[in-house]
Amino acid sequence: MPEIFINGKPVQAEANQTVLQAALANGFYIPYFCWHKELSIAGNCRICTVQVEGRSWVEISCNMPVSEGLHVLTDSDLVRAHRKATMQFITLNHPVDCGICDKAGECTLQDYHFAYNGSPSVSREPKVHATKFHDLSERILLDNERCILCSRCVRFTREISKSNALGIKNRGDVSLVRAADDSPLDADPYSDNVIDICPVGALLSKPFLHKARVWYLKPTPSVCPGCERGCSVNIWHRKAEWHLRALDPKQNTSIARVTPLENPAVNGPWICNKGRDLAQVFERARADRAMQKGKPVELEAAIAAARKLIKEAAHPVALVSNWASDEELSAFKDALGARFTTFVKRDHAPQPGEVIEDDLLIRADKNPNTAGARALFGEASLREPSYPANTDLVLVWGEGCNFATLPAGAKIVFLNSYLAPENGFADVFIPVSIQTERAGHYTNFAGVVSAFERCFAKPATVADAQEVFAQIAPGPAGTP
Amino acid sequence: MPGKQLLMTFPVTATSHTLADYVGRGGYATLRRVLDAMKSEDVTKEVAASGLLGHGGAAFSAGRKWGVVNLNDHQPHYLCANADEGEPGTFKDRWILENAPHLLLESMLIAAFALQVRNAFVYIRGEFDLPYRRIAAAVEEAYAAGYFGENILGSEFSCDIVIYRGAGSYVCGEASGLLSSLEGKRGYPRNRPPRLTVQGLYKRPTVVNNVETLANVTGIIAGGAEAYRKVGTAKCPGTQLVSISGHIARPGVYEVEYGYSMQQFLFDDCGGMLPGQKLKCIVPGGISTKVLTAAEVAPLTFDHQSFAGAGSSIGSGGMIAIAEGTCMVRLLQVMLRFYHHESCGQCTPCREGMGWLHKIIDRIVAGEGRPDDIDSLYRISRLQDGMTICGMGDAAGYATIGILDKYRDEFEYWITNKRSKLEGNLEGTVHA
Repeated sequence: MPEIFINGKPVQAEANQTVLQAALANGFYIPYFCWHKELSIAGNCRICTVQVEGRSWVEISCNMPVSEGLHVLTDSDLVRAHRKATMQFITLNHPVDCGICDKAGECTLQDYHFAYNGSPSVSREPKVHATKFHDLSERILLDNERCILCSRCVRFTREISKSNALGIKNRGDVSLVRAADDSPLDADPYSDNVIDICPVGALLSKPFLHKARVWYLKPTPSVCPGCERGCSVNIWHRKAEWHLRALDPKQNTSIARVTPLENPAVNGPWICNKGRDLAQVFERARADRAMQKGKPVELEAAIAAARKLIKEAAHPVALVSNWASDEELSAFKDALGARFTTFVKRDHAPQPGEVIEDDLLIRADKNPNTAGARALFGEASLREPSYPANTDLVLVWGEGCNFATLPAGAKIVFLNSYLAPENGFADVFIPVSIQTERAGHYTNFAGVVSAFERCFAKPATVADAQEVFAQIAPGPAGTP
Repeated sequence: MPGKQLLMTFPVTATSHTLADYVGRGGYATLRRVLDAMKSEDVTKEVAASGLLGHGGAAFSAGRKWGVVNLNDHQPHYLCANADEGEPGTFKDRWILENAPHLLLESMLIAAFALQVRNAFVYIRGEFDLPYRRIAAAVEEAYAAGYFGENILGSEFSCDIVIYRGAGSYVCGEASGLLSSLEGKRGYPRNRPPRLTVQGLYKRPTVVNNVETLANVTGIIAGGAEAYRKVGTAKCPGTQLVSISGHIARPGVYEVEYGYSMQQFLFDDCGGMLPGQKLKCIVPGGISTKVLTAAEVAPLTFDHQSFAGAGSSIGSGGMIAIAEGTCMVRLLQVMLRFYHHESCGQCTPCREGMGWLHKIIDRIVAGEGRPDDIDSLYRISRLQDGMTICGMGDAAGYATIGILDKYRDEFEYWITNKRSKLEGNLEGTVHA
């Protein structure tokens, strides 16, 4: 453990660290654009300069190995002058169009300008013009004028997603990031991570383009239900204080975008593109009316009817949802587990064209909480359900159940969140909340438990499954 | 001839580049002796003892570079001859490639033996036509004669060589950019550390030497380090090929012994300036070195210490003689256009700074200069100094500062009067 001195203060560094890593790990901030802890060192942005005490020049810290007794200054006059100069270089041909840039508010370049430069450009020369709104893929737009050629996106596709989809062509100040002809970025299921790691507003998400200023949005920590990896994500939605009163009020309760929430135990700083598109899952048409045999009824009436059916049933079977949280599954087990023969249903199967499994994040089981259900109901509950001959009631919880496979004659109590033909077919249908309307935990395939928080209020006519189970559980003998 | 000769020791004829002629001059005898009687370490020691300096521009000791390679590290080592001679004004390696390709190959074999290299490379600039054909033909001859391949000359030593043509990028002449290009990647220079002798081609220890540096190895091993040290000066042994061009009577490639008088070289050996012209300044070693005025050059001797004392450098030996009447503003414009065009675009100061410098000088020449433009040129040049991954940022900065320091008046004149101070002077049609 070499001891180095940063601004005169002793710091215990790891032997294989660079000065930049040692500084960041010990609370000293050194600015950086091109460096990224998960990527190789490019050393091209030149903003991370430090001065070794006694030397009259500066060096980049991202590529400087620590050595015993090294004294570095991160804030000397020389370092400050060089940072300022580098910011002048970096913004020389940058359009500084923050007013119309989606990245504004979370842009490293913008932050560093105020932190390390602050002066207008000293250049009088016309800026180099380059392509704007270049279609890098179906999902990503590239503004080459904003690009500072840090090569993070290129290194990401080489080192992390391994699609090799991006490269740089031309040279000098007309260099351009471009997708390779033979390995398009569309084929990379992790492509959207380059938008997050872009330190400027060059790489833009098409679905999010010009949708919202980020300072009107709030990130709520959540868990991606797209597969059993259970990546930690941030679900971005409008802050309560910035709710829109005009326009479409749905904007106040819709997902603006999804970004990774760094979690070293699960997904590191990445997620796949499916996780970005959670709005497509959660914003499907909702079932918001309780029904009995397809006839709308009040929620209370439906719950009472379900309780009656369960009380009367002699041999009930339950198909529980593996999109349910650990808490909901526990609530079911506590309230009804003893009464029901329980199977765990797989709510979602892989869609056509979806990546089934890979070495990075994506897992074959496209449900978030199979492991949590297994822990509660046992391995056997994951088998194909086998209905006893005298089954007289099936409680189906969540999607993915073909009602034709249910035993004929059995009553059906159905809990679901989305509009589906089966809803009206059930004897009792109870609409339930979705993940973004409640808090809870999922247990991923490796046993890591991750929490998700509530983003939006649930509709008044919709129940929380967790509470429903206590209400539909038949009371002790003698109660109604 | 400007002093003793080590490389240009034979008359150039129609066949002097062939294997037969080279063997007739005693070629490949040194290789035979090395393989028969020397150990790898001894070759490196001999080269280190000779004080052989790199001839590509940086003048780094070849022996020290070789000494970094650990012969017992159980991994492949690589050797690469840098024949990407792209520094403007420089065309000396071309002479070796065209006229003494076997000298380079024999030297590379000896170096490969010293560094325990199984695969050696020659990275040759794409624009070279005759040099490429000559070196490629020489490799074929050498393979046919058993100087390359398995068990060379019956020894345990095996070595193969690949000639790789660049695609015309200046930055690929920088050793690490060259290796990136050789690996098939963009010719981006790499950050140090690690040094290339620790992690170079394919992340293995790699020695990249200039063609001329390598070409000297055979002579050093043949004659011994002592003999080599007797040529040149004590601190700067040997000779350097100088390619001189510009307003000089006899341009061409000369082998100049270190320590030789510059005055004598320019005015005797090269025949002085073209008729009617007077020396204004020289670009001493490629445009990346600071220009030296006629008065500054006059007392110098041709060696690194003498040039360093005058604030410049011998560089790559690409000398350009510039006559009185030449407009230095236009000269700088041409140089900056080159640097702007050749910046690889990898790191910020050079990518942005070269274009900035170029735009400012273009604006001055267009008659739209402002009084503070000179300060801007200075400031941008200084900011690039030492701030880039390779030396190109420094080089362009030196060149710019060198010219601005010495000919600031010409820039001020152009900015004020919107035309060259020396319009027509060179051609003898001086304005009133």
